[in-house]
Amino acid sequence: MAQLKEVCSFDGHSDRAWCVAWNPSGTLLASSGGDKVIRIWGKEGDNWVCKSILSEGHQRTIRAVGWSPCGSYLASASFDATVCIWSRKEGEFECIATLEGHENEVKAVSWSCTGSLLATCSRDKSVWIWEVTEDEDFECASVISSHTQDVKHVTWHPNKEVLASCSYDNTVKLFKEEIDDWSCYSTLESHDSTVWKVCFDKSGSRLASCSDDKTLKIWQEYLPGNTEGVVTTGNNPTWKCVSTLAGIHDRTVYDVDWSHVTGYIATACGDDCIRVFKEEDCSDKNQPSFNMICSVTKAHEQDVNSVCWHPKIPGLLASCSDDGSVKLWQYLEN
Amino acid sequence: MASNFSGALQLTDLNDFITPSQECIKPVKIDRKPGKVGKIRIEDDGSYLSVNDEGQETRLEKAKITLNDCLACSGCITSAESVLITQQSQEELYKVLKENLRLQETGQAEQQKLVVVSIAPQCRASLAAKYKLSVQETAAKLTGFFKKIGVHYVFDTTFSRNFSLLESCREFVQRYKESETNKTALPMLSSACPGWICYAEKTHGHYILPYISTTKSPQQIMGSLVKDYMATSRGVPANLIYHVTVMPCFDKKLEASRSDFYNDIYSTRDVDCVITSVEVDTMLQQEGISLNDVEPVEIDNIFTQIHEGQLLNHAGGGSGGYLEHILKYTAHNLFGQDVTQINYKVLRNQDFQEVTLEVPGQPVIKMALAYGFRNIQNIVQKIKRGKCTYHFVEIMACPSGCNNGGGQIRPEGEETPKELVDRVTATYNSIGNSLPDSLKTVVDVYNEWLGEVGSEKSRKLLHTQYHEVEKMTNALTIKW
Amino acid sequence: MSQNDLDNANPTIYEVGSERAILPEEEDESVTDKIDTREVFDLIRVINDPEHPLTLEELNVVEQSKVIVDDDANKVTIEFTPTIPHCSMATLIGLSIRVKLLRSLPPRFKVDVSITPGAHASEEAVNKQLADKERVAAALENSHLIEVVNQCLDDQKRKLG
Repeated sequence: MAQLKEVCSFDGHSDRAWCVAWNPSGTLLASSGGDKVIRIWGKEGDNWVCKSILSEGHQRTIRAVGWSPCGSYLASASFDATVCIWSRKEGEFECIATLEGHENEVKAVSWSCTGSLLATCSRDKSVWIWEVTEDEDFECASVISSHTQDVKHVTWHPNKEVLASCSYDNTVKLFKEEIDDWSCYSTLESHDSTVWKVCFDKSGSRLASCSDDKTLKIWQEYLPGNTEGVVTTGNNPTWKCVSTLAGIHDRTVYDVDWSHVTGYIATACGDDCIRVFKEEDCSDKNQPSFNMICSVTKAHEQDVNSVCWHPKIPGLLASCSDDGSVKLWQYLEN
Repeated sequence: MASNFSGALQLTDLNDFITPSQECIKPVKIDRKPGKVGKIRIEDDGSYLSVNDEGQETRLEKAKITLNDCLACSGCITSAESVLITQQSQEELYKVLKENLRLQETGQAEQQKLVVVSIAPQCRASLAAKYKLSVQETAAKLTGFFKKIGVHYVFDTTFSRNFSLLESCREFVQRYKESETNKTALPMLSSACPGWICYAEKTHGHYILPYISTTKSPQQIMGSLVKDYMATSRGVPANLIYHVTVMPCFDKKLEASRSDFYNDIYSTRDVDCVITSVEVDTMLQQEGISLNDVEPVEIDNIFTQIHEGQLLNHAGGGSGGYLEHILKYTAHNLFGQDVTQINYKVLRNQDFQEVTLEVPGQPVIKMALAYGFRNIQNIVQKIKRGKCTYHFVEIMACPSGCNNGGGQIRPEGEETPKELVDRVTATYNSIGNSLPDSLKTVVDVYNEWLGEVGSEKSRKLLHTQYHEVEKMTNALTIKW
Repeated sequence: MSQNDLDNANPTIYEVGSERAILPEEEDESVTDKIDTREVFDLIRVINDPEHPLTLEELNVVEQSKVIVDDDANKVTIEFTPTIPHCSMATLIGLSIRVKLLRSLPPRFKVDVSITPGAHASEEAVNKQLADKERVAAALENSHLIEVVNQCLDDQKRKLG
C-alpha cells in the first residue's frame, strides 16, 4: 500500500496558512497566510528551517505567492488589493515593486514560462496581465473582464503564452493574445459550483480543476484537425472534460497540483485530507481512468488549503492548512 | 442586464448576486426619524401610509433615486442604468414633443418648449456607416428626421468642440508655465471622456483629479451655448429650452446629470437628455423608417461646423483631436515652431501612442494617447509614482476612442466589431478639417458671448470641477 | 420603496425559550462532555438582529430544531430563516452566525450555515457566499463590516438597550 509519509511539520504562521510554493530549483518553499507574512523555508543540513520572514509588504492576508521561472523573484497576492514583487539577491529578499490597480482582494499570481508576463486575478472579477520591463518595472498589458464573478485562480501554460483562470462563476477560462489584446477563447463549463483551482499537466495539453462541488475534473485539449473528430472553431483548440472524480472528497476541494515529475495529482480538501491520484497505465486519453493511490485523513487539524509537488524530487509534497501549519510529505510505494 | 457603460466604469462595480433594488445603498442613507416605528399600510393606489401607536397616519414619500445620487455614491454603477433608462432616453424626448403638440392644440403654444438637438460627429459617422451614407447626407437626413417629429433646431457638437479645443490649448500653456511652482500642473489629462472622469473620481480621487484639465467637454459647452448664449440672445428662459444631445457613449448621460451642470436659477440642466446613436436608430425603427428614406433638411448653421455648405471636422482622430491641437498650439506659441506633420509612435498597443515635439536647444514636449482601461492604468500608476514623463495625455475610456463608444451602433451580420470601427473611423475622417478658430461664426460667438480670451465669463462658462467620491463605509451595504 | 429604512418594519416577535439548566456533570471539569444541539443553539440565539433591537431567537430567525450537531463527526449544520424573503440582511445575519461559531467552537468542527430552504429569494446565492471561506475571511478583515458583526454578537447591547 502506497503512503504519504510526513517528513516534517513547521509551525510559524500565527493564522491560517493559505498557500505553499516551491521555487523552481526546489531549494526554497514559500508559504503565506492570514498573518500577513511570507515565510521562506529552506534546508540547513538535514533540517528544514525558516530562512526568512517577509513581513513588510501587505496590510491584509497574503492569499498566494508565486516564483518567477528564474527563481529570482517572488510575487505575492494580497487581500489588500496589491501584488508585491520581491527580488532575491544573495539570499535576501527586497520588495522592488507594488502593483496597484485591482479594486479589491487579489487571489492569485502566476508567471509565464519565460518570466516576461505576470498574471493576477481578483475578487473584482478581472484578470490582469502585466508585462515585466527590462528595468524591473511592471506595466499593465491587459485587463480582462471575462468572468462574471470573483476569479479564484490564474495559471500559465507550461510552455506557451496561454493563460487559464477559474472562478466563483463555476467556469474555467482560457486566454491568449489576439491582434492587439488578450481575450478569452474558451470557456469550460462542467463544474456545479466555484472552481477553486486549475492546473496544467507537464505537456500543457491537459488541465485538472477542483471545485466546491467536491469533484476533480480532467480536461483534454483537442487541436484543430484532431483525429478524434472533436469539433474546433477557427484555429483554437477545444477543451473537453474527459474525467470527473466524484464521491471521493467530502468537502470543498481547495487545491490541486499535477506533478510535472511523476504525473501524480494531489488535492487539498476542506475535509482535512490530502489525496493522491494516478492515471491508470494504458489509460485512453479520451476516457482516462484516475485512481486514488493514497490519502491521508487528518493530514492537518483543519482544512487543507494548498498542496505543491516538489519540482525535482519525485513524490515530495508540501501542504498547508487553516491550522497554520506547513507540512512536507514523501510519497512512498511499498 | 448587460451593461452599456464603458469598461472603466464597469470594473469598479461589484454587482454580484444582489438584485439591483437590494444593491442600491441609497435608501439606507435616509435619516431615521426618532420614535418607534409604527405600522405601514399600503393603500390601493400603491402609496404607503405610516400609522403610529395613536393611529395617526402619515403619507410616506417615495424614496427617489436620481442619477446625481448615483454619481455621488461609490456603490454600484449598474443600478444607475435603470435610472438612466427612465430619466434619459428617447422616451423622454417623445414625452416633451407630445406635450408640445398638446399645448399647440389647446392654444397654449407660448408654453411650448424649444426643442434643440445637438449631434456629435461620431454619431453621424456611426449612422452613416450603418446606412451607407455620406456624412453630409447623414447630417441632412438626421436633421430632416428630428424636425419631422417636432424638433426646432438641430446643431453639431463639432461647433462647441472648437471652444473646448481652444480652451484646452490655453489651459495647457498656462499649466506648462506654472509647472515649475505647481507640482500638479503637469501632466495635464484630458477631460472630455465622462467614463474616465467618473472612474478617476471614484477610484483615484485627490491623487489624480488635480491633473485633469478643467475645460468642459464639447457636450457641456454646447449645453452652455444653448442654455446661456442662445437663451439670452433669443430671450427664451433656459427652462423653456429642452436640449438633447446625441452622443456615442452612455457615460455622457452621467456627465449631463452632474450637479455642476445644473442651473439653479432656472432649475434646468445644460443638457436635459442624452441619447446615443443606438437609441436614435431605435427611434428610426419605432417610426418605421429607414434613414435612407428620410427627406433631407439642411442642418441649422448657427451652431454647426459648416463652411460654404460643407460640414467640417477637426484633425487628430475620432476622440476630438485634443493632443494634436494642443501640440500644435504649444509648438507655435511657446517654441515658435509650426508643426504640420505629427508622427505618432505606437507603444504597447494601438491604443497607446506617443508624440514628441523636438525643438533644437529647447526642452522637449512629450504627449500620449491612452485609450482603454489597461492604458489608463499605466498612466495613472506612473503619475502616482511620479514617473510620468508626459506633459499631456489624451485619455479615453474606450479602446479605439469615441468612434468605438458604447452607444455606437453594433455590427450586423458577418462584420466584426473591428471592421465596423475601421469603417466608422474612415467615414468620420472622410470630410475636410478646420482649425478651431478658423470659422467666423466661432469667433463672433466667442466675442459676443464671452468677451476676450481668458475673461471671467470664459473661465466660468468653459470650465468645470471634479469631486472625489468618498469610499463607502456603511457596513450594511458593503459587498463582501 | 418606503421612506422607512427597515427591510421589515413590523417583524413578528416570538417567545424565547428558557435558559438552559446546567447539569451537575457538566460542571465536572474532569469529564469532557460532548457539544450538543442546545449548547450550539445557546451560542446563536442571543445574536442581535442587525436592524432590530431583538435577538435572532426572538425573531425566529434561528430555532433549536434547525441546529444539527454531530460531535463525533465534528459537524455543525445550521439553517436560519430571514424574516422576509427579500431581506437584504440575510448575508450579514449568516455571517454573524458563522463568526460566532468560528470564535466559540473548537476548530475541529466543520460548520455549515445556510438559509432554510425556500425562505429567501436569493437563497442559493447567499448560501454560496456564506460557504466561501475565502470571502468570509476577506469580509472579516474589513473593519467596517466587522464592527457591525461585533455589534450583532455583543450580548451586552441587548441587555442595556
